[in-house]
This record gives sequence, structure tokens and C-alpha cells, in this order.
Amino acid sequence: MKTVSRRKFIQLSTAAGAFLAVGYVPDAAGDGKLIAQITPDPSRLDLNQFISIGADNSIVLYNHRPEMGQGTYQSIPMILAEELEVDIDKVEIRPSIASAKLYGSQMVVGSRSIQTEFEKLRKMGAAAREMLRQAAANKWKINVDQCKAKKGAVINSSGAQLSYGELVAEAGKLSAPENPPLKKRSEFSILGTPVKRKDIPLKTNGEAKFGIDISVPGMLHASVERSPVFLGKVKSFNKDQVLKIPGVRHVIQTSREVFGNKREGVAVLADNYWSALQGRKVLKVEWETQGLEKVSDENILSDSYEASKMEGDELFNKGDVHAAFTNAGNVIEAAYETPYQAHVPMEPMNAIVHVTDSEASFWGSTQNPNGIRSFLSKTYQLPEDKVNINYTFMGGGFGRRSMTDVAEEAADLSKKSGAPIKVIWTREDDQTQGPFRACSLNVCRAVMDGQGKVTALEHKVVAQEIQNQTGPNMKAGRQIMGGITTDYLIPNLAVKGVLRKRHIPISYWRSVYHSTNVFAHECFIDELARQATKDSIQFRLDMLDHPRFRRVLQAVAEKTNWNASRKKGTGKGVAIAERSGAHFAQVIEVEQRGKQIVPVKITTVIDVGICINPDTVKAQTEGSIVMGLTAAYNGLTIRNGAVAEQNFNTYPLLRINECPEIETFILESDAPPDGAGESGLPTVAPALANAVFDLTGKRIRKLPMDLGGIV
Amino acid sequence: MAKISLRVNGKVKVIDADPQMPLLWAIRDLVGLTGTKFSCGIGQCGACVVHLDGAPVRSCLIPSSAAAGKEVITIEGLSENNSHAVQLAWIEEQVPQCGYCHSGQIMSAAALLKAKPNPSDDEIDAAMSSVLCRCGTYPRIRKAIKQASKMKL
Repeated sequence: MKTVSRRKFIQLSTAAGAFLAVGYVPDAAGDGKLIAQITPDPSRLDLNQFISIGADNSIVLYNHRPEMGQGTYQSIPMILAEELEVDIDKVEIRPSIASAKLYGSQMVVGSRSIQTEFEKLRKMGAAAREMLRQAAANKWKINVDQCKAKKGAVINSSGAQLSYGELVAEAGKLSAPENPPLKKRSEFSILGTPVKRKDIPLKTNGEAKFGIDISVPGMLHASVERSPVFLGKVKSFNKDQVLKIPGVRHVIQTSREVFGNKREGVAVLADNYWSALQGRKVLKVEWETQGLEKVSDENILSDSYEASKMEGDELFNKGDVHAAFTNAGNVIEAAYETPYQAHVPMEPMNAIVHVTDSEASFWGSTQNPNGIRSFLSKTYQLPEDKVNINYTFMGGGFGRRSMTDVAEEAADLSKKSGAPIKVIWTREDDQTQGPFRACSLNVCRAVMDGQGKVTALEHKVVAQEIQNQTGPNMKAGRQIMGGITTDYLIPNLAVKGVLRKRHIPISYWRSVYHSTNVFAHECFIDELARQATKDSIQFRLDMLDHPRFRRVLQAVAEKTNWNASRKKGTGKGVAIAERSGAHFAQVIEVEQRGKQIVPVKITTVIDVGICINPDTVKAQTEGSIVMGLTAAYNGLTIRNGAVAEQNFNTYPLLRINECPEIETFILESDAPPDGAGESGLPTVAPALANAVFDLTGKRIRKLPMDLGGIV
Repeated sequence: MAKISLRVNGKVKVIDADPQMPLLWAIRDLVGLTGTKFSCGIGQCGACVVHLDGAPVRSCLIPSSAAAGKEVITIEGLSENNSHAVQLAWIEEQVPQCGYCHSGQIMSAAALLKAKPNPSDDEIDAAMSSVLCRCGTYPRIRKAIKQASKMKL
């Protein structure tokens, strides 16, 4: 068979603004115009930027979203394969190149990859399938209606069959159809089934490469000392002594920007990472901290309480909350505190960058390949096509790897030293430098009538805002009310925000503001239920006509035998939330063992709309719960202007022996797929606190909680 | 600096290094095997577990010189073709998410099963509590170890 080398790309148009509108524009000329080269492989044809078919029937599907454990490495190809009509077990999955032109946004945040890409991926798969069907029809000289695509081949009504490999050259001459028919949900054979992930075998034998595993020729290793006190400026450092350490080549001042603030550091560059660390042990930096060393949790908390007295900016309003409170006799009020949290991906932050006069290259694990390209292009005034982005598997991200700050350090050090630079943060760096999940104070108040019906509720969030960390604008944005359910049928309901600006950097952290706001909101709803002497689930159901919330709540009650009377020494708590479209209800069962209260079982019912890979949704929920438990038990403390917890010995992550039984049920639904990467996390702290109340009658309103110190 | 002879996965490699350089960095940066992972550097997380003369150790805490003359097995040397019972069970139960800690998890689980072929739930928790997983794969680790213990290989 004649080799084919043309490639066709379906163009994606991008719209200005925060969100990328994914347009679907077929390759009008149908001439396979080469926009960018994905694989220099002359024996195959890329029917579009996601689908490559070889004359030997090999199918390669390109996965355009970096993998950090969320499982889209498998679920994106599943969507393509479903419409393409190929056997998912037989396809090869390859990471795509980083190219906003070809793929739109490749950023993996907010559980968006499936949610935002589903329709586009289906069309990509369907368009290629239609081209192959038409190719078969042309070969057989019959109408395309008589051609059916199935398992990597096209079959006609007389039973004759041509494999995709046999058809690909002919298909390559055709233009992509503009509106290919999509399969009905009832016709799905891959979507909704627990397909095993092809990245997993790479992760059981050391084969998977993470950013930290990459080496490039001539590379130097860097470890950077940064001011323990946030925003400290470099006054002086003992360069000459550090240069005496064997293997150390350079000692260079550097900086990185985090949401508007330059953060300084001094880097030790050496032949290997161990030598860089030895140099850093000898390095002494004098920092100018300008009084910031006096900042501690106590200052922050008292500032938050003081700020909570302000009216705040209105983020949501229904009815007349002001009037309701003015005339109310009995106002119920509670305040909830949460601490800063570190992301703690197991793979420490790292990046390799080489900047030369004519180009820049990046190697590493990132949630944001397009962002790193833009950054390098802008900073070093290079055309975007002179910036090479090589992204790898990520050893966890949780939002931390959406930032480009570590690549910025590596780039700066590369520019200054001339060598490719690999920066690796130590665990202590990761833990103490941030950016972090924001701390918050949530003040909730409500009015109930004589029948125990909530007539008014106000939830005030006092917190920093990720997108507004510097500058004079003090107006709170809607971002900080994330997770506060406004679906409860309360006639007068308001959410207010009081923006705080602090020099401690914050960023996106798995489920973002949901991780603090849902704790407050769902604990407060529980407090109201108890005040009204009503059952916690029934109280919620009585205030909800939202069908998805009702369904998951009713299901979790049934799965956990909620209405059965509690055994002595046990308690149950419930919480609900919506995150990235997914609706979920969670019940935590606790037991008292001596002085310790122990969560023994966590049951979650989740509605994610159409479910792509149920095993991945379950895995993500399990992971979210474990991360939620760690955040319920631990937090960062700010003392003398710095983070007190340096490593896992003082900031213990949940260990296997502390992990309760976790059960997750997925409710099928016809709604388009929702994001599933953060579900289960926001509800952990409130469901646990509510369970503790159920058992002990004691309210937890401050995180982290100490389950050994309640009874 | 000193010449240190390391035997890793059956192959001898002579490295020229600071004798205090932890085995972890010798394996990664000088031997060139990157399956063994760095995460905390203080022996708290277990991502760097390798077998030293058959016993699971945290390679971030062992000076390279202390490993000289001993048999070091890393994740790359646990089996050929991903065929160790623990690896097969890890794939069957779809344990890893990001996968970063799982070299340490698998090496720890393999050592556990060698010492206790049929571990109880408590023994699994006790042995595996030394390895952290931020993705929260613990429920699946438990299942996979149970499954591996039943495999006859």
C-alpha cells in the first residue's frame, strides 16, 4: 500500500475571555493542510489532530490533556473511540503536543477536561468515522447509508468489509463533515464502562516519566533558598563559601511572581541535585522582612473577625434579608474558621528550562502547558513557535501545577547561567512557600419561624481572593462564594463577601473555595436542623426541590440505612454539595473508641451526568475524600511570618491505617458529563463534624479538628 | 568524593560520589534509574523505598557508601514485564492515580508479602502506613495486596 503522509487538522477557534470557546470548523479545503506536525511518521494519516490511523490498522488517539492522576489519559480516548467505532483495548494512546492552536486550552483545572471537551471530542471521533464510511462507499461505489462502521472496519449490507487501515488513504482525500451524526446514549458501548487505564501499567514498573525524572544534556541542578518570612527581600548572601562545595557551579539571585507579588530567592546551581542541596546547607541569606516577621495566625484571625463586622459585598441575594433580620426575634449565628492548606503533590515541584537567544524549551510536569508557553514567549520575546513545551505525567497537581512560577525560576536561572536548569523544590520549600489554599472565616446567621422553617439566611465569607491578591480593588468577587448552595428554598437568602488582602500567596486547591465554604454552610444547615429538632436529611429535603440534590440525598439515606436508630457510641453526619456540575451527598459514620472518635465509613452518592469511566469517577471520589480528611485533621499555621509545618512530620497526610472504608455510588443521568475530579472533598469536613455532633452533642466550628480531644 | 561500587538490579555500577550522598540520589542521578522517587527527603513518606539485601529501606536516608557490596533492587528490577504478583494486582485493581508514590508502595507491599504471604487487614495497615499517597489510593492498595496474596505465581 502506498504510504500516506498528509495530515488533516480540524481547526479550533478561540474566543477572547477567560473561557475558551471550542469552535468546530472543518478543514474546508479538504486538502489536509499541515498546521503543525504531530508525528513525523509517513506510514500513517492523521484524520484530525486527535486521530491517527496506520495502513497496518494501528489506531493512535492523541490525548491533549496532561495527566496528574485524574484519569483523562484514558477517558478522553474513550470518547474518541466511542464515536470512531474502534476497540478501546486496541488503540494506542499518546500524549499530544502542546498547541493551543490545535487543541484549544490544554489546562487541567476545575474538573473541566471531560465537561468542556465532551462534545468536541465526540465530533472529532464522529467526523473521522464518517470520512472512513464515505471512503468505503466510494471504493464500493455504493451509497454511504449502506456502510456501517464497527470495530475498526466498515461493513456493507452484503457483508463485505474494509478495515480502517485499508480505507485511510481514501478517507484522507475527503473533507471532514461539518455536522457528523453523533451516537445516541443507548448506542454507547465504551462510555459508561469501567475501562482499565493504559497509564497504570507504566506506573507499576517505574516506566512512567514525571518531570522530576527528565534529564537534558548539559543541565545543571538547582535548589533555591527563599525567604521563610513571606515577601522577604534578599539583603546579602555568602556566595564565596557556597562555591567551595564540591559540584557547586553558581550561586545566583532569582525570583518568581505569584499573582502579582515578586518573591525572591537565592539559587545554588550544581552538577547534581545532592551537591546543590549541600551548597544550600552552607548558604546563608540575610533577608529584609520589613516587619512581616510579626504576622501570625492570631493577627490574621483577629483581622478576619474585625472585617466580618463590615457589611460586605453582595454576591447573591434573594428576598429581603435585611428586613428579615431586623424584625427577627431569634437569630441563630455561628462562625467557622479554616486554615491555609498546602497542595502537597507527592512529586515535588520542578521544572527544566533552557533559554537561548533564539528559543526556549521546557520539560516538566504541568497542568498548564499553554500558560508556560505564553510566559516564556512573552518574557524572552520569542515567537510562540520558538518555545518548545515537553510535558510529562504529573506526580499530583491539585491546582499547584496550574502555576508557572517554578518554570519562571528555572528560566531565569537558565538565562543567567546559560545552561539548561532543573529546579527541584524540596518538600520543605513546597510546604512553606505556597501558594496555598486560602484560610477563611465564614459567619452564618439565620432566622427560623416557630415551625422550624428557615425564613432567612446570610452567609458571609471573609477571605482572600485568588484573582485579586494585590492592588487597591477591595471588592469581593463571586469566586469566593464557591460551594455555597443557594438551592435551599429559603425565602430571604444572601451571600456576602469581605475581601482580605494578605501577603501570603494563595491559589487554586482541589475544589477551591468549596473546601472551606461547604464546611461552614453544611455545618450551619445541620445546626439549624438540630435547632428545629428535625432529622438532618429530612430537614434538607424539605428545603430542596432541586431534582439532582434530592436524588443523591434520598439515595445516600437509603444506602447508609440513615433512618435506623444509632448504635451506642456511633454517629452519622451528612453534607451535600455541587462541584463542577456534579451533585453529591455524603454520609460519614463515626465510632467512639476510648477517647478517640474515628470515622469508620464514608458513603458518597454522586450524579455526574453521563459517566465516562465509572471506575475513574470512583477513584477520584476516593482520592477527594482522603484529601478532605487530611484537610479536616491538619492545616498550616503561620508563626513569625512563616509557615510552621515544614514537612510530613509536622503536616501529616492521612495514612492507610487512618483511612476509613469508602463506598461510592454513581447515579446514572442523561445530563451532559459533569466534572468529577473534586467531588467528595468539600463534604468531608462538614459531614464529619455533623457526625461528631450526632455522637457527642458537641459542635466543631474550627478546622483542623482534633478527634482525640472531643470526649 | 569516593569510588563506590553499587549493585543495582543485578548490575554493578561504580559511581564517583560523596559517600554521604543518599542512595536515592545515587540511584536516580548517577545510576540513571528514575523509578525510585524523591518526595520528603526525611524518611517520612516512603516514595523512595528499595530493597537492600531483601529488606525494604528508605533510600533517602541510606548513605551510598552503606549500600556498597549489598544487593539493591529497585522498582525496575522487581520483575520482568510487570509480572510480580503485586504489580499484577496493582493493575487489576487499578490502584495508581498519579502513580508517583507507587514505586514505594509496590516495593513495600512486595516486602510485606515475602515476610507474610497472607497478611491480615491490620498487618497490611501496619506495613503500608509508612508510605504516603496524596491521591488517596489506600482502599485499592488494601484490595490489591489481598488479591496479590492469593495469586499463585
